[in-house]
Amino acid sequence: MGSQKRIAKELAELVESPPEGILVKLADESNLYTWHIYMDGPEGSPYYNGKFLLNLTLPTEYPFKPPTVSFKTKIYHPNVTNDDKGSMCLGMLRADEWKPSSRIQAVLQFARQLLAEPMPDDAVEGRIAEQYKNDRKRYEEVAKEWTRKYAVDS
Amino acid sequence: MADAGDRMFCHACGGVWLRNADDMVCPHCESDFTEIIEIPPDPDADLPPDRSPSAPAPASARPNPWADHNPWAHQEEDDDLDHGWGSGAGTGPGNGNGNGFTHRTYRSPDGRFTFSTTTYTHGFPRRSPPSQQPVNDPLMPVMQGLGSIFNGLAGTYRQQNAPGSSSNQPQTPDRDRGRTLGSFEFDIEADGRAGRQEGLHPRDADGPQPMNNPLRTLSDILELFRSDFGTNTQAGGSGVRVVGGPNPLAMLSTLLNFDRHGDAVYSQEELDRVISQLIEQNANRGAPPPAPATAIQSLPKKKVDAEMLGSEGRAECSICMDTVDLGTEVTILPCKHWFHYHCIELWLNQHNTCPHCRRSIDASQHEEPEGTRNNPTVIPDSPEPAPRRSSGGENGPSQTHGAQSPSGWSSQSFSSWSSPWSGSEEPRRSSREGSGVAAWLRSRLGGGSS
Repeated sequence: MGSQKRIAKELAELVESPPEGILVKLADESNLYTWHIYMDGPEGSPYYNGKFLLNLTLPTEYPFKPPTVSFKTKIYHPNVTNDDKGSMCLGMLRADEWKPSSRIQAVLQFARQLLAEPMPDDAVEGRIAEQYKNDRKRYEEVAKEWTRKYAVDS
Repeated sequence: MADAGDRMFCHACGGVWLRNADDMVCPHCESDFTEIIEIPPDPDADLPPDRSPSAPAPASARPNPWADHNPWAHQEEDDDLDHGWGSGAGTGPGNGNGNGFTHRTYRSPDGRFTFSTTTYTHGFPRRSPPSQQPVNDPLMPVMQGLGSIFNGLAGTYRQQNAPGSSSNQPQTPDRDRGRTLGSFEFDIEADGRAGRQEGLHPRDADGPQPMNNPLRTLSDILELFRSDFGTNTQAGGSGVRVVGGPNPLAMLSTLLNFDRHGDAVYSQEELDRVISQLIEQNANRGAPPPAPATAIQSLPKKKVDAEMLGSEGRAECSICMDTVDLGTEVTILPCKHWFHYHCIELWLNQHNTCPHCRRSIDASQHEEPEGTRNNPTVIPDSPEPAPRRSSGGENGPSQTHGAQSPSGWSSQSFSSWSSPWSGSEEPRRSSREGSGVAAWLRSRLGGGSS
């Protein structure tokens, strides 16, 4: 009950004044707990020009439990699992790091920042992280290729 | 008594010969560790009274009566060997001093289970008493201990199975020798009919045949069980029996699940499964524990005054994000952050830390009331536009110390942020400080790692 009020409030703020490169919609108008996030690849990153769809799911215990974020658009990134789940590993979303005073806006900004600056030391895709660290050029090539292939409307 | 009928026994090589005048040297090995035997040797006779109990009867003209000494010689004559104990002995290709091994086979009455020991003996010229032989083999006490255990077991078993011959406790003559090396083997015979035939092992008239493929390893034994359970075609059926479920094979395969056995996994899928299970189990592991209800109820409450609202004159509970007006009663944590009572209660019921600064509400753990006093880091309200791949720290830390933006959601809530963190997190975080907006976000949100 209380959570719905807060969620609605956060959603309203995000819709009214969306952060740069982030567009928020409810996946289903009757359900406050599942959001669709459209995220533009940050300029300067290999994801630039890509438009990534993310799912943000809020637990009923929100804000006492963290939301979960997953990429629906395939993305070549050290911190996003390279499977159909597209789980994104955000430290602030872990149960032991989550604070009720954290906001969805901050989560989304953090997620987008992660596109500009991957954190290979906290990677979920170790191979991509290695490549990011050791062969940045190749990593950017592949990431750009994937962006072009999966995240750009033709 | 040293008449011409006396015989000589050589303790070194075990040779026996007719005494030849005063020549006390063994003609076989030229050892002078010999003894005059006053009673003509008879393998089946009792030991002469003047011999030490440890000395075996000179069995024959075999080079080493120690090696061939058969402690069950009498029993073999008395017992039906089908449930008796066989022993075989061989003489190693050593020198005349009698290097050799003794092989013993204990076989269960039905022949299904065979336990054999092989004791290797290094012969020493018995010039000195065995008790003075230096025990320089570290394994020797162990082997002797095992040998005594097995001998004890064997004796018990024999008493149970052959009560008539229980007086013939097996003796291990090798233990009286200076140096004993042993090996023990457990053999389980797959078909229940094979018997070991080695050395001078007496033939089992009931038909045991030499086993072609002795089981030496654990996997052999497991395989035996598996095949045994699977076929279950034992005619005699007097051996190992499995009383069990409807499908012994399935039961066994559960027991012997090689994909997952305890903490060990043998396949990638199982490893993944274990890892995800651990992740799930640890999802809440690092989180602080709930606060006790009494501690929550005893938190001080206060009506919001102008000072608490700050310079903007408005504030909100950062849990429900509702605006808090003057005069509203709020609950204040020891760290001075305040919330609606029902909001903070819900949180504290799960974790005993402040939703802002993570400080425990347990008053005993507080060092400072306000983080800002020591580290007046003021975080701007919103990040700068994402930088092109941050090229260093030039816009890093300075940004985090920028002017406070008066508007928005964090001006109050996040005004004092960094120092209450535990010291252990600080170095890690500061090492990333140079990465601009990411550092800003990390330091603000505590999302230093993902």
